[in-house]
Amino acid sequence: MVGMGEAWLIPAIPAAAFVILLLVGKYLPRRGDWLAIGAMAAAFVLFFAVLIDLLGEVGKPDFVGVTSSIEWVRFDLPSGLEFELRLGFFVDQLAVVMLAVVTFVTLMVMVYSTGYMKDDPRYGWYFAAISMFAAAMLALVLADNFLLLYAAWEGVGFGSYLLIGFWHEKRSAAEAAKKAFITTRIGDVGLLIGIILLWREAGTFDISEIFEFAEAGGYSTAYLTTAVLFLFAGAVGKSAQFPLHVWLPDAMEGPTPVSALIHAATMVVAGVYLVARLMPLFVVADPIALNIITAVGLTTVMMSATMGLVATDLKRVIAYSTINSLGLMMVALGSLSVSAAMLYLFAHGFFKALLFLAAGSVIHATDRQELSDLGGLARRMPVTAAVFAVGALSMAGIVPLAGFWAKDEILNVVGDSQNFVVYGFLMLSVFITALYMTRVVILTFLGEPGDREAHQHAHDAEPVMTLPLLLLAGLTVLAGFVVFDGVGEALGFPGGIGEFVFLEGPEAFHFPWDVAVLSTLSAVAGLVGGFYFWSGEAEPARRAGELFRPAYKILKRKFYMDDIYQWTIDRVVLAAGGVLAWFDRNVVNDTGVDGSAGLGVLAGYGMKFLETGKLPNYALAIVTGVIVLAIVFMAVRV
Amino acid sequence: MDWVLLALIAIPIGAVLVFMLIPSRYPQLVRNVALVSGFAMFALSVLVFVKYEFEGGSGFRFDLQLAWLENVAFLGKDGISLHLAVDGISAPMVLLTGIVIFAGVFISWNIDYRNKDYFVLLFLLVSGVFGVFLSLDLFFLFFFYEVAVLPMYLLIAVWGTSSHFGTFTRPKEYAAMKLVLYLVGGSALIFVGIFATFMEAGQGTFDLPVLGAVTYDENFQKVVFPLYALGFGILAGLWPFHTWSPDGHVAAPTAVSMLHAGVLMKLGAFGILRVAITLFPEGAQFWAPVLMTLGVTGALYGAISAMAQRDLKYMVGYSSVSHMGFVLMGLATLTTIGVNGAVLQMFAHGVMTALMFAMVGAVYDQAHVRDMTMFGGLAQKTPRLAAFFAIAGLSSLGLPGLAGFVAEFHIFVGAFNTYPWAGALGILAAAITATYILRMLAMVFFGPFNERWAGLKEMRRGEQFGGALLIAFIIFMGVWPAPFIDRISESVEFILRVGASGP
Repeated sequence: MVGMGEAWLIPAIPAAAFVILLLVGKYLPRRGDWLAIGAMAAAFVLFFAVLIDLLGEVGKPDFVGVTSSIEWVRFDLPSGLEFELRLGFFVDQLAVVMLAVVTFVTLMVMVYSTGYMKDDPRYGWYFAAISMFAAAMLALVLADNFLLLYAAWEGVGFGSYLLIGFWHEKRSAAEAAKKAFITTRIGDVGLLIGIILLWREAGTFDISEIFEFAEAGGYSTAYLTTAVLFLFAGAVGKSAQFPLHVWLPDAMEGPTPVSALIHAATMVVAGVYLVARLMPLFVVADPIALNIITAVGLTTVMMSATMGLVATDLKRVIAYSTINSLGLMMVALGSLSVSAAMLYLFAHGFFKALLFLAAGSVIHATDRQELSDLGGLARRMPVTAAVFAVGALSMAGIVPLAGFWAKDEILNVVGDSQNFVVYGFLMLSVFITALYMTRVVILTFLGEPGDREAHQHAHDAEPVMTLPLLLLAGLTVLAGFVVFDGVGEALGFPGGIGEFVFLEGPEAFHFPWDVAVLSTLSAVAGLVGGFYFWSGEAEPARRAGELFRPAYKILKRKFYMDDIYQWTIDRVVLAAGGVLAWFDRNVVNDTGVDGSAGLGVLAGYGMKFLETGKLPNYALAIVTGVIVLAIVFMAVRV
Repeated sequence: MDWVLLALIAIPIGAVLVFMLIPSRYPQLVRNVALVSGFAMFALSVLVFVKYEFEGGSGFRFDLQLAWLENVAFLGKDGISLHLAVDGISAPMVLLTGIVIFAGVFISWNIDYRNKDYFVLLFLLVSGVFGVFLSLDLFFLFFFYEVAVLPMYLLIAVWGTSSHFGTFTRPKEYAAMKLVLYLVGGSALIFVGIFATFMEAGQGTFDLPVLGAVTYDENFQKVVFPLYALGFGILAGLWPFHTWSPDGHVAAPTAVSMLHAGVLMKLGAFGILRVAITLFPEGAQFWAPVLMTLGVTGALYGAISAMAQRDLKYMVGYSSVSHMGFVLMGLATLTTIGVNGAVLQMFAHGVMTALMFAMVGAVYDQAHVRDMTMFGGLAQKTPRLAAFFAIAGLSSLGLPGLAGFVAEFHIFVGAFNTYPWAGALGILAAAITATYILRMLAMVFFGPFNERWAGLKEMRRGEQFGGALLIAFIIFMGVWPAPFIDRISESVEFILRVGASGP
């Protein structure tokens, strides 16, 4: 029976598919898309095997998870210790939640892509790259040690580089891919430093051993806090938190299914997962670390939500909504609630994939993605419009869609921690989120078409693309109900899913009415506001834009973050490089190296005048030399 | 198996003699001889690597000692002998040399101008390289070291290319002369060091194991260590004595750049480890902070300078300075992890920089320019070339699963253990590496296709084979580094333990 011990197969099968596609993909029928999809389907099936096995074990006392690993590198250290790197896979409830999201969403995206990418000349390579991307993410989820985690983490970054830059003929795509890789890599510097700092004291890379070491007080508080903040830097980069969020809106240069994958399942949630996985360390560390997470998350939420209001590109609006969601998850983690963050991650995986894939259908049908070119598409593409609306309402947090339950859980935990500033801002963000999601629905599907010609040819996509949309829409409607313990028990999770995922009592989900009412009011206000501002000629929106012109401009320029970075790169980083290169050539080489060579030549030139060829001169030199030496000798003797 | 090490040195010398006998009107025969002997060296180096096992003690295997001079003049019992042996550190280096020269023969296939003389010098150089890695006698080590360095002068000055862009010019003769003068300057320091060691030890021999058994006075160690460290360090691209390296690499013909950046620079780092750290552990302890500082400076300085280059080959040249900085950092930790990392990096950098130079050469041979701003979108025309280049670049920026990461990870961990600031700066340098590599890839291979290069063709078959060979080892070491680390760590630990047990 395949169970948790075989969990390593889940990343291994897509990885094998990647290698096969890379080597012989072009000789396979349909260039091997069936192989990639089959591998991912196998991973999805294996997820159920692992889940069933886990359900059998989880009731047992002292169950903490199952590890299977092989040695990768090992040598002795003079201190008697061993330096050991293992490839180890660890399954627990947290990992299983992630496996569910990653395998299912990737599978849906792959099926959808067979339609979306049908005519692409690099069709086979596309499926190879997606397999690699998913394999890296699955390895990251299952890693039981920091080394494999880091390797998989970089693998995810590399996969995003390949896929965002998939259409590398476009300058903008090549730039976006580079930006994503470099920006996340800046965070990874922190991650690697953090990992090495943790290893330095504990002498192991094993995550659970490091937990034990930390809980036994092996690290001083200040040291551990420093280390976990470095780790968090990695999460900031990967999960597009302020101030490293700039890569994500540009990342939509990739094919739209790739955006769905990056935003919903395989990349940006990695940072959230990292913090959730390492929560025991944050608990032991100084509370300032958690406060920093909350602050970063909240800043991210507010910035992205407001930027979402003015973005004019369909995919860019959804991209801002992702950053918004990721910020929310970070706030939940900052409030010590892994369960709220993971519930949101779970729900978000479905409705964000839905939103992007539906947007992909729109782009596929119209070849337009500027909101001003779209409009009125509900008449032409009713199914797409309907599922997009479901996703948008879920994102806005309208009952009873998945987003509502998940977002409320986060509001609950923030409310419980008595942090009313954060709470107030989150309520405001709920309103803004509903506002911009309504805006994007109206501008895309309602009203009059901006570009009539594109509108003429638009129609719902072929079944292979619509089916994933419907499945994801179904899950968006249903997934939220897992918060009810009764539903969880009925599905076979003892004590409900909250209890299953997070054994400790207070982590189980709960549902106070006051929060629900308040958040629903905010969301509905956002909906109504959205209709008021943007329906018809959108006259009120235009007037509001003029009224708050400075604020509007700041939002349009994305808080000047891109400009600041660009300036820094051009004027500081590249300039420093130029200065150093100049220094190397002109000072180190031309002065230092050539200069000393020149000195030698000069000395030779000067000395040659001593060679007069006249005997008296030489005799004089000899006599002088003898006298000087004699004096020196006598001086030394005395 | 004792013959195998001698054979490694004898094959290239034998090939040189055969080349000399071939009339120069048969260039194809020259190539075939080069191919056969290149393959023989590759096969033997693989054999040495595979067969090497640590068997306790100092870990030297396949020991072969042929007496040359003894009991004459100032020489004692052991005197000077051709003493060859391989340990866990030189085994990967021998393998590296075998790989790079074999690939280099393929890359050099199309050299038409006096190709016989070219291969004579190239193979002479390789015999010197094998000699340095295998010699356990300081006299012969130094002899082979010179044999490895001096052919560079002619190889660059005759077959090289000068650089001209804008107001900047570097004649190839200048680069050749600077390179050789620099390295000979380093040799002078080593020469002084060797004689000082010989006199101080008073054993009448240049045999390294004998010299290693002597305990040297602490002050003597402190004085002599920097002679070796600087002398060998110059060849390892030690900052600020590195400027010969970018200019030299740029001017050299492709295969020579591959061999030089890939293998010759390792001779320097290898010399520091084999001679300076092994014989003078206390001197090493004393100078380690300086070496670490220079290593980190080189790593950062090289990376930042590489970022500003527009010439592809200069970028690779400065990246070599940066990566050799990592090697010196690893050595300066004087810990098992760090020194392991240094040796791993020597191998990893060897294969990946050889691949990069090969790919730059493949572009340059057709385009005759190397200014990256003049390209664009080449991946559409030459996807395989782009993929090979990208793999070399990704390994260089430390992507897990490729060779560079394994090495850098060990170096950073080792550095963090001894000098945390250095470790942090090293990781920063690795991040800068990502910037210049990705920037180069985006400029040259991605974006809209520059129609000027419509006539560009994919790599030659030989270039593809040579590149694939290097890639195979990049991936092999990245995915399964255990065979390397098993060999390296035992020998490294022996060296460091002997040092630690001194008075």
